[in-house]
Amino acid sequence: MSRILLEVEGLSTHFMTRNGVLKAVNDVSFTLHEGEIIGLVGESGSGKSVTGFSILGLVDPPGKIVAGSVRLQGRELIGMSEPDLRAVRGREISMVFQDPSTTLNPVLSIGTQMRLALEAHETLSRQAADARCIDVLNKVGIPDAARRLGYFPHQFSGGMRQRVAIAIALLNHPKLIICDEPTTALDVSIQAQILLQMKTLAQDFGTAMIWISHDLSTVSSVASQLLVMYAGRIIESGPVRDLLRVPDHPYTRGLLNSLPDHASPGQPLVQIPGQMPSLIGLGAECAFVSRCNQSDALCQTSPALRSKGARRVRCHHPVAGDWQ
Amino acid sequence: MLLAQAPIMTDRPLLRVSKASKQFAPALSFGDHIAGWLGQEVDQRIVHAVDGVSLDLHRGEVLGLVGESGCGKSTLGRMMAGIYPPSQGTVQLDGVPVMGAGKKPLKTTTRIQMVFQDPFASLDPRVRIGETIGEGPLVHGLVDPANVGAYVAQWLETVGLPAEAADRFPHQFSGGQRQRVAIARALAMQPDVLICDEPVASLDVSIQAQIINLFLTLKQTLNLTMLFISHDLGVIRHMTDRVAVMYLGRIVESGPTLQVYDHPQHPYTRALLDSIPRLVTEGDELVVFKAIEGELPSPLAPPAGCHFHLRCPFVQERCKTVVPDFSDHPSLPLSGRHVACYFPIS
Ligand SMILES: Nc1ncnc2c1ncn2[C@@H]1O[C@H](COP(=O)(O)OP(=O)(O)OP(=O)(O)O)[C@@H](O)[C@H]1O
Ligand SMILES: Nc1ncnc2c1ncn2[C@@H]1O[C@H](COP(=O)(O)OP(=O)(O)O)[C@@H](O)[C@H]1O
Ligand code: SF4
Ligand code: SF4
Ligand SMILES: [Mg+2]
Ligand SMILES: [Mg+2]
Repeated sequence: MSRILLEVEGLSTHFMTRNGVLKAVNDVSFTLHEGEIIGLVGESGSGKSVTGFSILGLVDPPGKIVAGSVRLQGRELIGMSEPDLRAVRGREISMVFQDPSTTLNPVLSIGTQMRLALEAHETLSRQAADARCIDVLNKVGIPDAARRLGYFPHQFSGGMRQRVAIAIALLNHPKLIICDEPTTALDVSIQAQILLQMKTLAQDFGTAMIWISHDLSTVSSVASQLLVMYAGRIIESGPVRDLLRVPDHPYTRGLLNSLPDHASPGQPLVQIPGQMPSLIGLGAECAFVSRCNQSDALCQTSPALRSKGARRVRCHHPVAGDWQ
Repeated sequence: MLLAQAPIMTDRPLLRVSKASKQFAPALSFGDHIAGWLGQEVDQRIVHAVDGVSLDLHRGEVLGLVGESGCGKSTLGRMMAGIYPPSQGTVQLDGVPVMGAGKKPLKTTTRIQMVFQDPFASLDPRVRIGETIGEGPLVHGLVDPANVGAYVAQWLETVGLPAEAADRFPHQFSGGQRQRVAIARALAMQPDVLICDEPVASLDVSIQAQIINLFLTLKQTLNLTMLFISHDLGVIRHMTDRVAVMYLGRIVESGPTLQVYDHPQHPYTRALLDSIPRLVTEGDELVVFKAIEGELPSPLAPPAGCHFHLRCPFVQERCKTVVPDFSDHPSLPLSGRHVACYFPIS
């Protein structure tokens, strides 16, 4: 096993809203090794993006990281000064957002934008800088990169713009890239291209990734570990194959069963009834209790996260027994 | 099982698209203007969004339309719904053009309705949803003012919403509920044909299942005829009787859905099917997927001949110059397979 890169422990990020405290991320812990791709899945509003932003220290008021620790190769990032954090962001950890237009500036050529990103962290000759830019553009599969340095974002298709955004994230050879739904807006064949390229990059450079998505099939095709989030908490995690073969949490099982692949054509899909509770004023019960078909009296108390080997589950009645 | 009662293919389709094309002269974007000021070349050519498509929709069938982003699915759907007039060719409902003639043609029928991808953008935030649903039927005399309340309640119930929902505003609903409202609005017009453009794409997996189930129920109870546009091949396989695969403005293959999925004949269909990451595991292994080589060519300058020839592993000289188009071939039965390729996979 390669060395540990990132340790997230007991991370909690809350938003102090007018209606009360919104617990967007609640006691989240996981470990990421060098070169490992971990998938973070969950429905909209479950806290995936806020987890990503919290790791980067990008939480602004009314949000606040209220507890926990994020260590990058042993260095604590929470509480680090803003200048120090800025040095970490972009060079050691970078982030790709769902919408490439949040990363790309429409009035600057991509060559200029990439050189600016490089210069933020080191001094390079124009020639050396261009060579680096061309190199990463080639890596993400943009042909004819030298000429395209002069292109403006609108001269690329959506899929290529997202690749440029990924190239910028790769520029400083970060140890970790957080990808927040980078392919959700793209269609299947372009998704496939980008997924394969990201996987290769992780292998070739030892870059670790956190791949955020609500689409189980894309995540499971890149990641080796899966974290399933629900209502701000990790409710199940483990090696992808293991977890998909025998999901132990009723929610994960419900998600998998609701996919069209699991029903014969034309037959009703199995649906999870109801919706996720508001993250303001979550009670003491299991957050899934109103939608769960396994619940009993015990579920009125919040289940602890239990572990068994590489698997973890937060449920009083996991499918397989023998949990500690 | 639904497949047993596959729709009856009569010679006369309910909706017929004949050699329909649509070109756009793209307006300059903000970025283009800037590029122009900076002295760069700006493309001002014509986009060939849909290129000579012939397609039939039969009463009671659900036809799927798949293809990569930008290949023209929405444009074709909008022509079939009577929202865009075709630049060439015709779209006819029961033999009557769905749009009038003239410089600014109007939709001539309310018998075709459309449901869009984004349930947030397609509803007016200031209008109570009861009014949103009741307005069209009132204007077109499908219901009189005295009964509109009950009429709206009936359609809300059909899509699984409580009657009280009529008094609420769109922001008081979740994404999945808003999509139900949009479906109720379309159904309240009592259409013969429903055109759905990516109706579940913006919803979470667990909500998608609810909306897909709603469509399946509606299809049976109302005997709906639907065009179902999606880039999600799993959803298309589940929902549709027949599927048409589109590439760069043209239909390259069509046929009964399961036949096309199990035995794709067009090289593009096969590449598309191979490129989906799937969750279904074979034994211990996750099924490996392959990316389609190369980029989708620009619809501003589509290649000559077969549009797929730049990316096709089976390309021959002939493919590069002459368009493979067998849609008029007399031996092709309407319900059969149609493959626009010189060297189909057998
Ligand atoms: N109003 C318009 N003006 C100019 N070009 C347009 C217009 N509408 C569509 N196009 C162009 O026509 C082509 C087909 O677009 P269309 O929206 O039909 O694609 P699509 O298959 O629905 O894609 P997606 O899967 O991304 O929704 C694209 O190149 C698009 O940019
Ligand atoms: N700036 C903010 N102010 C208040 N609440 C927020 C803010 N950002 C996110 N949230 C809330 O935090 C929760 C988790 O959000 P997010 O991490 O974006 O979900 P996901 O990425 O899983 O869809 C949601 O309830 C969301 O409304
Ligand atoms: S703890 Fe109870 S309610 Fe919660 S998921 Fe497990 S069985 Fe269901
Ligand atoms: S016509 Fe030729 S290029 Fe086109 S798909 Fe068939 S074999 Fe390939
Ligand atoms: Mg998010
Ligand atoms: Mg579209």
